[in-house]
Amino acid sequence: MVFAYNSSMHNADAAASDAAPVIRVAGLAKEYRVYDKPEGLMASVRSLFHRESRLVEALRGVALTVERGEFVALLGPNGAGKTTLLKLLSGIITPSRGTATVLGHVPWERADDFRRRFALVMGQRNQLWWDLPAAESFRLHQEIYRIDPAQFARTRDELVDLLGVRKLILQPVRELSLGERMKLELVAALLHEPEVLFLDEPTIGLDVVAQHTIHTFLRHVQTQRQMTVILTTHYMKDVAALCERLVVITGGEILYDGSLAEVVDRFTTHKIVTLDFDEEPDRAAVERLGFPCEVRGPRVILRIDRTRIADALPPLLRGEGVRDVSVEDVPLEEIVAELFRAGAARPPRVTEVVP
Amino acid sequence: MLAIAIEERLVYRGDFALGTLMRFLPIVTQVFLWTAVFSATSRGDIAGYSRNDIVAYYLLTMLSRAFSSMPGLAGGIARSIRDGSIKKFLVQPVDYVAFLLATRVAHKLVYYVVAAIPFAVVFFLCRGFFPPAPDAATVAAFLLSLVLSFLLGFFMEATLGMLGFWFMEVSSIVFGYMLVQYLLSGHMFPIDMLAGIPSGLPGTTLADVVTWLPFQFTAFFPAAVWLGKVQGGELVRLLVLEVAWVVVMVVACRVAWARGTRRYSGFGG
Amino acid sequence: MIRYLSILGTFVRACLVRDMTFRANFLLECLTSLGWMSMNLAFYLLIFTFTPEIGRGTGWTREPFFAFVATGLIINSIVQALFMPSAEELTEMVRTGGLDAVLVKPLDAQFLLSLHRFDFSALANGIVGLVLLAWAVSRFDAPPPPVAWAVYPLLILCGVAILYALVIMLAAATILMGRNQSLYDFWFYLTNFSRYPAEIYAGPWGGPLRALCTFVIPILLVVNVPARVIAQPFSSEIWGPVAGMVGAALAALAVSRIVFQRSLARYRSASS
Repeated sequence: MVFAYNSSMHNADAAASDAAPVIRVAGLAKEYRVYDKPEGLMASVRSLFHRESRLVEALRGVALTVERGEFVALLGPNGAGKTTLLKLLSGIITPSRGTATVLGHVPWERADDFRRRFALVMGQRNQLWWDLPAAESFRLHQEIYRIDPAQFARTRDELVDLLGVRKLILQPVRELSLGERMKLELVAALLHEPEVLFLDEPTIGLDVVAQHTIHTFLRHVQTQRQMTVILTTHYMKDVAALCERLVVITGGEILYDGSLAEVVDRFTTHKIVTLDFDEEPDRAAVERLGFPCEVRGPRVILRIDRTRIADALPPLLRGEGVRDVSVEDVPLEEIVAELFRAGAARPPRVTEVVP
Repeated sequence: MLAIAIEERLVYRGDFALGTLMRFLPIVTQVFLWTAVFSATSRGDIAGYSRNDIVAYYLLTMLSRAFSSMPGLAGGIARSIRDGSIKKFLVQPVDYVAFLLATRVAHKLVYYVVAAIPFAVVFFLCRGFFPPAPDAATVAAFLLSLVLSFLLGFFMEATLGMLGFWFMEVSSIVFGYMLVQYLLSGHMFPIDMLAGIPSGLPGTTLADVVTWLPFQFTAFFPAAVWLGKVQGGELVRLLVLEVAWVVVMVVACRVAWARGTRRYSGFGG
Repeated sequence: MIRYLSILGTFVRACLVRDMTFRANFLLECLTSLGWMSMNLAFYLLIFTFTPEIGRGTGWTREPFFAFVATGLIINSIVQALFMPSAEELTEMVRTGGLDAVLVKPLDAQFLLSLHRFDFSALANGIVGLVLLAWAVSRFDAPPPPVAWAVYPLLILCGVAILYALVIMLAAATILMGRNQSLYDFWFYLTNFSRYPAEIYAGPWGGPLRALCTFVIPILLVVNVPARVIAQPFSSEIWGPVAGMVGAALAALAVSRIVFQRSLARYRSASS
């Protein structure tokens, strides 16, 4: 079920320095023991003596390989394990099983050499110092990451101008809006020119304009610096705008790992044909065509099997009163949502444990 | 509703039981301190308190303070004045003070039910320090003093909170009140111990002066009643004084509310 | 490393700037801590109207006792000013996931988590402590010898170190349990035992308690040893406790660091 993706994006530098993948994950798993909160008076009293717990498998043996310069989207519903994976790769938590290396380091050993080479940005979670103006936070970053002062000034100015936040950096961070704060977080994250960038739902809660600005920024910066980026999200918009490689994760497992284009080919069996009539067609007649259909006024939407499109279309076009027709792929959102549902429908492997 | 409140407390079972017991810990240190004080003097008692009396005294003040302490009352009133949430009480036919009083009673009841066990355990273990149980009349006076201390504590803090109608920052005033309470309520030491210190006024001691103030009723007085340190005519006099103070504070609270709301509405808030 | 000092400087500067911006608030905080302290001083004065000494034959008469209290004020104000604010914020950081951001930085987590926020108004108590110490010592029958004055600051430092180690252990517990326990309350109860000279813990209950708080959780060493050096007649017997305290401080720092690192390794992180 897992498709390996062969990157064609190596540039000369990467080939020269190391052909080894930047990120290599094998059999990575993470389990948590969660204690149940008791409901009801009797249960509460009972909980004084004995607590029930469950073992939750946040990640179940995941494997992944990412080459230098790739922009990978980690897509999945809430609770799928994508943030857990990111936290493991950035060394915030330690795994229950399995191995991972990022830039040759084991993340959860938290070596300073490793931590200097990557950055993590989490949506809706503030990493800048709350009380200080952003400019102070940047200066602190410079000291923490030991960035050469001249380089720091250049990088900072470039990033600040790219995102258009120059006016904001002197204000205390807590006075800024979510969108403004996220832009400043991105600046702070890139000041030390990391080789790997982890983004955890960076556009969550942002308005469309801010999302778009950030998308453009990320695309530009990633190509310019050949950064390896992993972005978790549950918005298709992020995926479509930014990445070519999509990893779908649900229930702690990777369901799909390949290019966006292949998702459509692989997971859909039909195309969507939309017919616009001069006036509302006869419902019975439409149903007699034999395809799953939806009638909305003068518009009829049909789902036709891909292999039969060539045969099915001509008679439709010749039909009475057809004014316009369009043939489209099933929208990505739908495909992915279906994948999520399929993943959720699998039998859960949560073990009930009573100590 | 009571069941839900209790349930919520039980969910934080470890925290709660431990927290209640931990509140008795500072008494342990005080007891050792007083024991050391006694051992260095040749006296059998200080201001009429033997060492055991003092232990019993501190335990009893834990009880009286459980009745009279009103955490967050003044601050809460001031805050709702500041952020405007008090406005709905100006409009609705609900008496704000009565509402606050009712909620406090409910909170206290729940607290007593759940804290009863840790308290009972501690008192049982320390029963050796207590003098023989007092007679029925004294017990009745004790219970009365507890109820009165609840009312007094409530109305004192409520009135302070009402000052929020006139002052932006009530917290400094509340802090001053807390400081005075700490010193003069009997929380740190029995007020009787001030009997040896002359006050500024001729012929009186500090103890004499402090016993006219309302603060002693929130901690010292109920404990003193149980231990028999105030009896007979003196006991009656002080009970009457306590009632008087309660009345004064109720009136003060009402006046503050009336004047305050008038002032508040005048600002078109 | 110089980098750490420079970063510390930035934090201190930021805090001072904030304090000076909210000047009235800062002064109020100073007055608050001074207020509580003066109530307690009044209480001690009252006690000494009833007895000449705390504990028979312990040597803690009025002036030495106040020197003890002064020592406690100095040590506690340093800990309160430098370490407590950061530690208190830790619960919040664990809850909101701010701790993740710290773990990702190429900087020692313990350093960042214990030294990024300060409460300089707590130093007011320490200053009063110094004044109180001067007053008390001036009324001694015999002034402390120079060697006592030389050792005293070192022991103050050791006292601060032991308390710091305890703060770190509590912080480690917070990280492991991730609960909303009020660190401050716990701290109060713990340090409450060290408010008075250790000699008060006597008798069948006191003896074991004293041993527990001296050898297991060395809370009683913190104020007692430096106070005894300065306030009690200096004798060669004091070198034992002095060495013990220095050793305890070093051991406490080491143990607390190990515990802290272990807790970080087991960090669960707030759910996404």
